[in-house]
Amino acid sequence: MLDHTPVSRPRRKTFLRLTVLGTVLAAATALTGCSGSPGGSDADKTVSFYSWDNEATLKPVLDEFKKENPSIDLKVSYGTPVQGYISTLQTRINSGTAADVFIITAENKTEIMNGGFAKDLSGEPWIGNIADAAKATYTKDGKVYGAATASWGGGILYNKDLLAKVGFTNAPATWDEFLTLCKKLKDAGITPFYEGGDGIPVSLAALVGLQNEANGGTMDADIWAGKTSFTKTWTKPLEEWSQLFSQGLVLPSVAGLTGDQVTSEFEKGSVAMIGTGSWALGSIQKAAPSLKLDFMPVPGDSGNYWAGAVSPGYAINAKTEHGAAAEKLVEFLQSKTAVELFQKQTAAITTTKDFTPQLDPALSTMAPAVRDGKFYLPQVTWPTNSAALNSETVSLLQQLIQGQTTPDKVASALDAKLASLQGK
Amino acid sequence: MALSTTSALQPMRSPNGRDKTLPRKRIHRLSVTSWAFMAPIAVVFVALYIIPMTQSVYYSFTDFNGYVSNPKFVGLDNYTHLFKDPSMLSALGYTIFYAVTTTILVTVAAIPLALTLNRKFLGRNLVRSAFFFPAVPSVAILGLVWGFILNPLGSGVLNSIIHSLTGLGPIPWLSDSTLAQLSTVVVTIWAQTGWHAVLYLAYLQAIPADYYEVSKIDGASGWQSFRYITLPLLVPAMAVSQLLLMTNGLKVFDLPFTLTRGGPGFSTRTLTQSLIEDGIAQSRVGAASALAVLFLFVVGLVVLGQMAITNALQRKYS
Repeated sequence: MLDHTPVSRPRRKTFLRLTVLGTVLAAATALTGCSGSPGGSDADKTVSFYSWDNEATLKPVLDEFKKENPSIDLKVSYGTPVQGYISTLQTRINSGTAADVFIITAENKTEIMNGGFAKDLSGEPWIGNIADAAKATYTKDGKVYGAATASWGGGILYNKDLLAKVGFTNAPATWDEFLTLCKKLKDAGITPFYEGGDGIPVSLAALVGLQNEANGGTMDADIWAGKTSFTKTWTKPLEEWSQLFSQGLVLPSVAGLTGDQVTSEFEKGSVAMIGTGSWALGSIQKAAPSLKLDFMPVPGDSGNYWAGAVSPGYAINAKTEHGAAAEKLVEFLQSKTAVELFQKQTAAITTTKDFTPQLDPALSTMAPAVRDGKFYLPQVTWPTNSAALNSETVSLLQQLIQGQTTPDKVASALDAKLASLQGK
Repeated sequence: MALSTTSALQPMRSPNGRDKTLPRKRIHRLSVTSWAFMAPIAVVFVALYIIPMTQSVYYSFTDFNGYVSNPKFVGLDNYTHLFKDPSMLSALGYTIFYAVTTTILVTVAAIPLALTLNRKFLGRNLVRSAFFFPAVPSVAILGLVWGFILNPLGSGVLNSIIHSLTGLGPIPWLSDSTLAQLSTVVVTIWAQTGWHAVLYLAYLQAIPADYYEVSKIDGASGWQSFRYITLPLLVPAMAVSQLLLMTNGLKVFDLPFTLTRGGPGFSTRTLTQSLIEDGIAQSRVGAASALAVLFLFVVGLVVLGQMAITNALQRKYS
């Protein structure tokens, strides 16, 4: 086949040389285009942002940024939370192509902070505007690596009309009262309570949160330091929570339900109460506008509590070559203007100090506690290996729901998993 | 490449019977041509298989978390932890159960289906298309649709039908460990039987009709024709089909994950799910790499064993 090529030998050599030269030139041009210009004039005029929120949500916020900073060229790419975003960011950090501003979240904060991939924001003049709970979530050794502007709360969302049928007037003050309410509903032929089995339930998270309060708020740090254990701290909340199933108040079928399926049942009016977060409220109201709803906190023996967590925060790439522009973007994203626009788009419980959001009346009980940082979610508070432990916990809880294991065995299995992850 | 070069070096016999060896220059040109054709795929193979595989072997001896550039060497720690992790052992058990049961049951269902589809009847092409259809949509979509059908609440499609027909309460198809395992296998059989039946159908159509006519003249029954003509001639198809079923079964992730997310508990967790979750979600690339390396050997051994059995069968019937 090569014999029949129409290119003669000398011409072929020239052709090959030109091809090689062209390729080298093209590669060199491409590489030059890829590289930044540290300290150059472009440094403060360009900033890249890898967004957690989708384009529709963030558009008004970013349009305002462009309006206020016409000289900065903002390049935005959008991830798909959670796994898609985390893995893409991981790859981009690894290859040295991470955006100037990206998102730090519960699922990657340990690796980001330990690896020194984000810039310390503790010296920024605006950092005082960030809520204390938000700062604490993304702080390591006194350095703040993320600026989160919102939090979410989780509790028991209830259908007022269905609860009125069993004479409900006030939210239960103790876990036993909550179980009694469930029993009344069940006796009246109403499905009392559902929670998705695909995550750590908010009801259990809040019960463990109460235990954390009893331990002075340092329960997880103490477990990791070996001062206490899951067995000593989780067994009681697990025993309380598992009464929902051992007393037949909730069907074991919930072990196979997703949060979306639970929400769908609630929207149809098939269940009186569900464990969910504030983020679900908007979609439920849109799907079932006639439902009369309210949130109540999860009652325990020593008071009541909310599940919840600080939302993902904005972080600046430690290796950015556009530091000034990146700082300007993050400063804008936490400003009153940006947070107000963001809140309008998402109805989130924003927590920055210079802006108080107007929230749905159903969040009136929850919002003050969330803005005050009075919430708990284990997988966010666990100092390391939270994703691995979260996955393990969900599987163990599904076994507990089915009656295949007991609360103390779940707690000791978590101790064993932690020991294994810590290489003990 | 090797085949092409080897054949080029073989002495050729000219029409008049004299040996005629290819000139060295021509051999060289042929070799260059072969390389030119092989080079693109060789580059892809090295870049997408050999390099990542080598990296996986390296990472399996380190504590690499996907971020740091200088991971610490941890020896065989990642391998020893694999055998201590109950979720990993559970994933291994379920993956083998899934691969073996789907391979056997799809084969058992696909051959009779292919025989039926090979007969002449009105609307045959439509029926063939209908059975092939489940292989067309994405498995993730099938998982979501079946999740809706097998919803363990009373509002689930299947539970609603059962309740209206028998008055029975909701059956926890995806919420009970045993039922969830069976449900994933049943959905897989539904999704794959049609595709494999079409594969068998292609081989059935290659069997000469004369064989059956002769056997009929000799007085063979329908079963005897199937046992002594059809089945032996389907052995090559079985080899292909079962190899695909077994390797896909061992590598499965999408269908069980979209149906049950690996639950309840660890009951439908697959090795591939563990690998993806450990490596990406949990930033334990070292541990996930150890699992990947071990998995590679296990799949290799199973496939070699299966090929040995199939070859023995082929020799017996050929």
